[in-house]
Amino acid sequence: MSVPRDTGKSLPNGTTGPTSQQGQTPIRPGTIKERLRHRMARWARRRQGEDQLPITITPRRVYILPTRAGLAFAALTFVMLLAGLNYANSIALLLTFLLAGFGMIAMHLTHRNLVGVNLRTVASIDAFVGEHGRLLLTLENAADTARLGLDCEVEGSPRAAVDVPARGSARADVSLSLQRRGRLTIDRIKLSTAFPFGMFRAWTYVHLHASLLAWPVPRGRRETPPETASGGSATSVHRVGDEEWAGLREFRSGDSPRQVAWGAYARGRGLLVKTYQSPAAHQRMFDLATVPGEVEQRLEQLSAWIVAAHARGDRYGLRLAGQSVSPDSGNEHRARCLNGLALHGTPDPW
Amino acid sequence: MVNVAARSHIAATLVFAASVLLMVDKAPPWCLAIALAAAVWRLLVAAGRFNAPKVRSGARFAFGAVTAALVVAVALSFRTLNGLAAGSALLLVMGALKLLEARSRRDDGIVVGVALFLLLAATLATQSLVSVPFYLLVVWGSCAAIAIIADRGGGLSPRAALRLSARALAMAIPLTVACFLFFPRFSGQFWSLQRGGQGTTGLSDQMSPGSIGKLAIEYDPAFRVRFDGDMPPRAALYFRGPVLNDFDGFTWRRDRSKYYTGPQLVMSGEPVRYRVTLEPTNQPWLFSLDTLAQVPRPDMFMAPHDRQLSASEPVTSTTSYDAVSYLATRTVTSLSNLGRRHETTLSLERNPRARALAMQLRAQSASDADFARVVLAWFRDNGLEYTLEPGVTSIDSVDTTLFDSKRGFCGHFASAYAMMMRAAGVPARVVTGYFGGEWNPVGGYLIVRQSDAHAWTEVWLEGKGWTRIDPTAVIAPERLELGIFDLLPESLPATSSFLHNNAFVFHLEQIWDGANQWWQERVLEFNTRSQLDLLRKFGIDSPDWHHLGWAFAAGLVMWILWVSLTLRRGVARVKPDRIGRAWLRATRKLARVAPARAAAEGPMAYARRVGEHRPDLAERIVALASLYATLRFGRDASHQDIVALEREVRNLAV
Repeated sequence: MSVPRDTGKSLPNGTTGPTSQQGQTPIRPGTIKERLRHRMARWARRRQGEDQLPITITPRRVYILPTRAGLAFAALTFVMLLAGLNYANSIALLLTFLLAGFGMIAMHLTHRNLVGVNLRTVASIDAFVGEHGRLLLTLENAADTARLGLDCEVEGSPRAAVDVPARGSARADVSLSLQRRGRLTIDRIKLSTAFPFGMFRAWTYVHLHASLLAWPVPRGRRETPPETASGGSATSVHRVGDEEWAGLREFRSGDSPRQVAWGAYARGRGLLVKTYQSPAAHQRMFDLATVPGEVEQRLEQLSAWIVAAHARGDRYGLRLAGQSVSPDSGNEHRARCLNGLALHGTPDPW
Repeated sequence: MVNVAARSHIAATLVFAASVLLMVDKAPPWCLAIALAAAVWRLLVAAGRFNAPKVRSGARFAFGAVTAALVVAVALSFRTLNGLAAGSALLLVMGALKLLEARSRRDDGIVVGVALFLLLAATLATQSLVSVPFYLLVVWGSCAAIAIIADRGGGLSPRAALRLSARALAMAIPLTVACFLFFPRFSGQFWSLQRGGQGTTGLSDQMSPGSIGKLAIEYDPAFRVRFDGDMPPRAALYFRGPVLNDFDGFTWRRDRSKYYTGPQLVMSGEPVRYRVTLEPTNQPWLFSLDTLAQVPRPDMFMAPHDRQLSASEPVTSTTSYDAVSYLATRTVTSLSNLGRRHETTLSLERNPRARALAMQLRAQSASDADFARVVLAWFRDNGLEYTLEPGVTSIDSVDTTLFDSKRGFCGHFASAYAMMMRAAGVPARVVTGYFGGEWNPVGGYLIVRQSDAHAWTEVWLEGKGWTRIDPTAVIAPERLELGIFDLLPESLPATSSFLHNNAFVFHLEQIWDGANQWWQERVLEFNTRSQLDLLRKFGIDSPDWHHLGWAFAAGLVMWILWVSLTLRRGVARVKPDRIGRAWLRATRKLARVAPARAAAEGPMAYARRVGEHRPDLAERIVALASLYATLRFGRDASHQDIVALEREVRNLAV
């Protein structure tokens, strides 16, 4: 999408010290078209108010306008009308009226395709800056006919098309390119459709507070901080040196398939992971204060360490200004640490 | 499996090909060939038979050159780019070129647009009833193609697209009818296209021996007549066409320079009112019952000396006019000297035997009227045979007919009779036209075919004026009762005879003709006047286009209401039942004390959370929630249970 990132969200800026401005939409000078869009957006928001999931799309909130193809069709019909009137040609007139009626039915069908759709849930998947974050929308269709060609998008994302079967549900996957570290707030989701004839586009806005986190890019050449023995013992799924066999535990997301006890799985005991116990648990602590340099680069360095440690299955902890995450491993832990990096410098809790 | 983009290409190409086929008899073959070849090529490419060539800058240049060359070719072959035929040809080749370079969905959309324009061109050229199903098929296909082109996900099967567009078109029919009846039409023309020339059909302004006989074997309709009231007796069904006043001994012609002021007529008896729907002839001649009272339309013209009706332009499309005729007339003035001279002129070299006979018979007769009767008797008594195949004739055609072959068709006898009248100095002329016709009981009108073409004479008798005398009637009196197909069946082509003589086929043909006539009168000729007549039937006294506008708007609004109601029914929201509604009311009440129930929050969890906000109500709320959960998720809830739940909700005071 060539649409510039709009003012709808405000991202932290590393050099000046970011401030959170969620929900506020500061007015910036722009082209007339942009400003018009902005006014329209605010008008729609005022008109519809804040939404709560799940939300059923009612006719009152559906807008509809002809597409370029629809305008071309209208022009063609108009030429046929002129020709029919000019030559008092009844067949040309009949066909013209038939096509015009068809166009109006097409409008109703498009409108109907959107009205009654139910947006059940919105889930977000965070990602590193420069990658694509995702919004997963679950759409439900209570009608007896399938709803094809529903397009979901948010400001700055391409349209994600989804077909929702009759009396069923489907998930739309909206991917959004992340350009700056921090929280990307999404204050409205646009559901639209041009089905079936592409001559009209009906759309609606759902105003909710969804957000995506953009983690700092893992980048940096510094040595990983050394492991420290924290005292006490800890179990780990990794066998680095003198660990001893410590038994099996339940599989947790983030565990590597290499550590799964496939033998036990084959015996029907479920997915278990082999763990080892070291006399003194090894763990690393990543501390922002120990990394010199500019803030964004330091965060990127921490991000790189976290990614590397996670890949090795190490236990690691994170210490940022004033807050810290105690050492652990696993996907949830990694996400928690990366979220901390993403939100560093904002009053956002993480 | 064809991919989504290829499906879009195929749909657009098929629609284009179908609309090209509509143009088969309306565009030059080379244009059709180019368009169809491009369509076939496009289909093969889309089906993956071979790859479309890569577009290079050289190819772009070549493409431009080919485009220019084709435009020039069309311009050269038509000598113009204006006009319906040239415009259609241009559309065909441009559509073909667009197919060659079509890559995107937008291109496919343009191809469908070209197809619809071709459809428009076809409707401008042909409006017959038989072509309507084909037009509708193209419209249907275009709509389905639009759906397939718009479908980016590929979730819409071609069958579903066809079904969907059929449904949309069917729902558009009421609007079509309302628009057709009430949409205000403008009588003026915005612009005009030149139409290509066609060959002439039907009677012309000259008659040689055998020229009527050529028409007699044609089964095509010449015109149809719908009478206001009863049809006149069959013997009176003489439809006058070109009146011929100049004879060179072989051919009768209409000489426009022989013009004079005609005698004045007084019409008597009851007028016959009727509407003639004339098939195109590419000639100006119009036909009316003997004797026409006045000019039916301002763009028509009646010659004063012979009351010959003609149009100001050749009739190139089906034309209707309302005429009034009187079967009986009286002449109150005498023929002018100039008129007498014109109507008695005869070449003195030709047909000496007939001239001699005429002189002799005139000498034996007391008056012109007596002479006319004597000659008629001579025609009857001298073994003349009425036949479609009179054999060879000579330059003295009347002599050949009367004395040598003694065979002839109506044209021969009319020619001979008028010539003999003129030879004796009695003003006479040949009238060509149609006699009789065939009643269509299905449509309730008279259908007059080319085979009903006839020729007779008009003789000036002092005191009576121009008098119709049909010599064929004395030679073959059956002709007055029977059509030519019943009278001379074996001399006619087998196809026409079959059409006429097989009772079942004949009946079918009458039904089909009736449908066509209905189409012509009720649909094709529907105009502002018909619209206003319709409003009058609805009780509006002096309707004008304001009323039309109101009627149109009312129809439109009603249709839109109908459409919205019909379409909404399909997506009726599933309404919660009584249990669900009761719970919904409860949650609405509880929303005042605690944040709303989250999507994933079960009733019990929600009730406990609300309870934390209002410990005093906690027990009651949890009880309510558990009752709801039991009814909702347990076995069948009895009516009492539901009523109990509703009561609990009602009594819940927060």
